[in-house]
Amino acid sequence: MVDTAKAGRSVPGGAAERALAFLAEMSPDLRGAAILDASGRVLAASDEPRRWEEDVAALLAVADRAGEEPVEQVHIATEQGEVFAIRNAGLAAVAVTDRFALASVLFFDLRSILRDLAGGGDGLAGGDGGGAA
Amino acid sequence: MSPAKPHRVLLERVSGYADEAAAYMRRRRVSRRPFARLYYPGGRSADHAVDSISGGELFVAAGRLIEVAERTPQ
Repeated sequence: MVDTAKAGRSVPGGAAERALAFLAEMSPDLRGAAILDASGRVLAASDEPRRWEEDVAALLAVADRAGEEPVEQVHIATEQGEVFAIRNAGLAAVAVTDRFALASVLFFDLRSILRDLAGGGDGLAGGDGGGAA
Repeated sequence: MSPAKPHRVLLERVSGYADEAAAYMRRRRVSRRPFARLYYPGGRSADHAVDSISGGELFVAAGRLIEVAERTPQ
């Protein structure tokens, strides 16, 4: 079982970056994404990690305030694009896609990546079962 | 008159499913409105209307992330 408190701290940035590259390869609708540790620090981001860090923190704070307990997943669809966020195994991942991306597939990929990273893997077990060469 | 060849039956069935799926996706594109949906442990989910306070805040926060992603070089 994954130690959720430790998982976020022990993930190397290189593994998170590889996981992000793998996600981009698997998801043609993806515009950008970031993976964060338990403290909200960006482990990997498409670009501008500081901006991702601030904006993801703001999104999760607003989402947590909206209910009585911390959220596990967020899905917001706008006219300009869609935002997906997920917390799993002490890590968090956020993805921005074009409109009409398949939510269930994207959440599955994000969850698989986080679970793999938290377990000490390289995050490539997500999606179609780690078919990367 | 001989019955249709089995592979033709299969092909027609697959084409039928593909047509249905394409029609579903077309309808979805036309009818879908912006939404903000939060999921909680245990499978519970909650929708937040665009004109609610929490919904408005969620859309603003999502808009910022979309903006960051727009600036990401492809």
